[in-house]
Amino acid sequence: MNNSFSRLTRMVFAAALAVVFTSVAHAQNATSQGDKSIPLSKVEMKNRAPVSKEILKVNLPKPYETKLSNGLTVLILENHRLPTATVQFNISGAGAVYEPADEPGLASITASMVTQGTASRSSKQIAEEIDRLGANVGASAAFGSGALGVNASGLSDNMDQWFALATDVLLHPNFPQDELAKLKTRMKAGLKTQRTQPNFLASERFNRAVYGNFPAAVISATDESIDKISADDLARWHRERWVPQNAILAIAGDVDAKALTPKLEKWLAEWHKTDYEIPATGNPTPTSTKKIFLIDRPNSVQTTIYMGNIGIDRRDPDYPAMVVLNQILGAGPQSRLFINLRENKGYTYGVYSNFVSLKFAGPWRAYGDFRTDVTDGSMTELFNEINRISSEAVAEKELDDAKRTVVASFALTLESPSQVLSYTTNTKIYGFPEDYWDKYPAKITAVTAADVQRLAKKFYNANAMQIVAVGDASKIKSVMEKYGPVEVYDANGKPASGGASASTPGSR
Amino acid sequence: MSRKYFHGSLRLSVLAFGLLAVICIFPTAGVPQSTPSKSASEPAHSVHTPFTESTLPNGLRVIFSEDHSAPTYSIAVVYDVGSRNEREGRTGFAHLFEHMMFQGSENVGKGEHDFLVFSNGGSANGTTDKDRTLYFETMPANQLELGIFLEADRMKSLAVTQANLDNQRNAVQEERRLRVDNQPYGPTFELIDETAYDNPAYKHSIIGSMADLNAASISDVTSFFKTYYAPNNAVIALVGDFNTAEALATMKKYFGQIPRQPAAPKVDMTEPAQAAERRKTVTDNFAQLTRLDILYKIPPSNTPDWYALDVLSDVLANGQSSRLYQELVKDKELAVGLGVGPEQARGPSLFSVAANVRPGKPVDELEKAIEADLDRIKTGGVTPEEMSKVMMEERVSHVRALQGTLGRAVELAEDTTFYGTPNLINTQMDDYRKVTAADVQRVAQKYLTENNRTVIVTVPKSSGAPSRSGE
Repeated sequence: MNNSFSRLTRMVFAAALAVVFTSVAHAQNATSQGDKSIPLSKVEMKNRAPVSKEILKVNLPKPYETKLSNGLTVLILENHRLPTATVQFNISGAGAVYEPADEPGLASITASMVTQGTASRSSKQIAEEIDRLGANVGASAAFGSGALGVNASGLSDNMDQWFALATDVLLHPNFPQDELAKLKTRMKAGLKTQRTQPNFLASERFNRAVYGNFPAAVISATDESIDKISADDLARWHRERWVPQNAILAIAGDVDAKALTPKLEKWLAEWHKTDYEIPATGNPTPTSTKKIFLIDRPNSVQTTIYMGNIGIDRRDPDYPAMVVLNQILGAGPQSRLFINLRENKGYTYGVYSNFVSLKFAGPWRAYGDFRTDVTDGSMTELFNEINRISSEAVAEKELDDAKRTVVASFALTLESPSQVLSYTTNTKIYGFPEDYWDKYPAKITAVTAADVQRLAKKFYNANAMQIVAVGDASKIKSVMEKYGPVEVYDANGKPASGGASASTPGSR
Repeated sequence: MSRKYFHGSLRLSVLAFGLLAVICIFPTAGVPQSTPSKSASEPAHSVHTPFTESTLPNGLRVIFSEDHSAPTYSIAVVYDVGSRNEREGRTGFAHLFEHMMFQGSENVGKGEHDFLVFSNGGSANGTTDKDRTLYFETMPANQLELGIFLEADRMKSLAVTQANLDNQRNAVQEERRLRVDNQPYGPTFELIDETAYDNPAYKHSIIGSMADLNAASISDVTSFFKTYYAPNNAVIALVGDFNTAEALATMKKYFGQIPRQPAAPKVDMTEPAQAAERRKTVTDNFAQLTRLDILYKIPPSNTPDWYALDVLSDVLANGQSSRLYQELVKDKELAVGLGVGPEQARGPSLFSVAANVRPGKPVDELEKAIEADLDRIKTGGVTPEEMSKVMMEERVSHVRALQGTLGRAVELAEDTTFYGTPNLINTQMDDYRKVTAADVQRVAQKYLTENNRTVIVTVPKSSGAPSRSGE
């Protein structure tokens, strides 16, 4: 089954599902300089479908909230439709962006290892208990994030048992040497496999380009760091960073909030508050000169292109306007990029834009996989769309459609209790006022065409663009050179030697 | 239902056997995994999906399941046509046609369908697999009429033009490049179907060949539409926040006038018994790890033996406590990721065992170890603990699949199309519960035999092994 939702989950806000309409006039403008061999098939509005004009008022249910004596914030959202519950411990300060520079992978290996042995259970016992209970229990720490998640879910009727198991891996992992050695072997094979994926190669280079020396530049462990990280390092990271005062426990599903709270005090009594404070990460410094990177993937039949730069952090007051801007440019199948490069030109199966906003500013990007022989036309059209949205005000109808999309898409998130709860978790993480989501639709509605253009001018700057292309260098190097000097890398991320030489030193 | 996922750090990204099993019109949305049904005998919570069904005079079957827990609904439209219906020289056509369904109709302009759905807060997509073509929308509850109207208009009056066909042919060919030609193991998935099957129905990929896609013509599109996109060849399910009487009236209003067509030709799915092992080696341009695929021919889904084989696959590889994961990934470290499962299919299916070989280990050693494990099941059977664990896993995965409105709508419509009853969603768990340890041992002995299998070894090009060789 396809797992294509994953592309969306990286985005901070669920409105990613939304899209926006491009008028016929715009499509004609945009295609005037492009490939002329394929007939245009334009978007056409007949306006005969029965659309309800009623604005569906959606109220996000409010979770029960409390704080345990150890400082842990607890959010509980009851929903009894199905006999299941999901639990997430979101632990700030324990994620990859806080890792020492020479130990990329420390946070994620710690997370992987907690289910590989505790003071009272072996790796195999943990696996057997999880499967016997029909539960999921695990931890993960994504690269580029400051937080770590311990996640558990299962049936509500045996929740006491799987919650106890989750508590055990949360509090008492013992990082056995033999299991660590085996995990390292599997991870190294995983690294090799990642390098076969054009999107991994593109992300790796893109993050280095936009983040520079900022820790979120790193998107995977390395063979060297895997060798270096010891069981003691993991135990120390766990002891120092996995602390209750920096964590939020979010529980959604078939539970009784009032009855559960005293149980939580008891179950988590051994998790003690510390005086550890999360260090400030600061913000990355955006690169102000355009750079072009080419990762040679011989025999590639497509060119994977990422282009973008650093945008805004999550607390930025321009966040709602950024959401609207992204809708218009490339959030979905009715966005400008998709209409132009897929529907009108047939260059690609999919082309999108997104942006990442966390406690620190993350990048926006436009990206897609394009047939090798239309790499040139695709670059032209990507720049056309990026320039157009900066140089022309968005028409009123297109803007209204984009805003309606963002607001209306709230309704769909109500099908998933844990997704609803994630809104509240975010207000806690970012320190938003309690009524943040109640006021959010009004903030989206208030975004103007001038706001959109101002942000596009500021962030979609063609002269500062960081451009990454993954493809067959023998076929596309000359194309990329039209846009400036090209640095060429091989699939191992090393500067390419010989003919396709790097014109400037590596970006790190 | 129950396509097993792959365990280990590589998970789906590497080993996704199902990569080509379903392909979508857009890469941005997906169909939820539809999974077996009905809560187990456990008394505390029985999870029952209520529904009503009716058939319109033109043969269109419609199923409604009200659920007012969120202000949303999903509509799933299943047409009884998939890549198994394709004739020779037109592989990939069912999927190419699916793309045409987003190009406009009498009252909906090209691209307007998605604009209306997405800009009103919904999501939509279409997917094609071997056995069916599926279209779906999930929308806020106040847009019930819109979703029904959009699906009816394209069933009634699809706009077929040369420009649309050429344009979507390009998009599909890009999709093929993205998912097959540019991906590690992409060609392997095609080779599996080409090698394991004899009947042409399943003996080709869903995405089809570039040459066949180039050959597709306007007249192909027109006749395909008339034959397969008839109301009497479709099932529609609605799940969510609506009133059934109102929804039925709206369905009648928009779908009622679409004329019935002669029944579509039946597909001969007869698969001759396999007499000897088939074995091939393929060189992969992009892969870094050797991959082993072993496929055994088995009966279609929703048969007692298929359920027993699904239970067997859970024992072997569902969860980190499963036999193969513990032995091959953890203890012997022969594999870095693996997956086992019977494919979902209305016709002859395949039981798949797939693994990525740990660098430095010989693929032969992994194959022997897998075979030894299968032999242990054949001679020693499975334990009561394994059986109860698997039943728990099936029950949980069933309950999880009932979360959103879309998963339920898809399952109701598919089950009705494939097996004639929407109620499988409420009874399928019983089919799992009927499986005994003796059944599991019996199906292992019966189907997992040397003569009944196809073995494909994929070797990274960088290792300098031979390219695709004969059997």
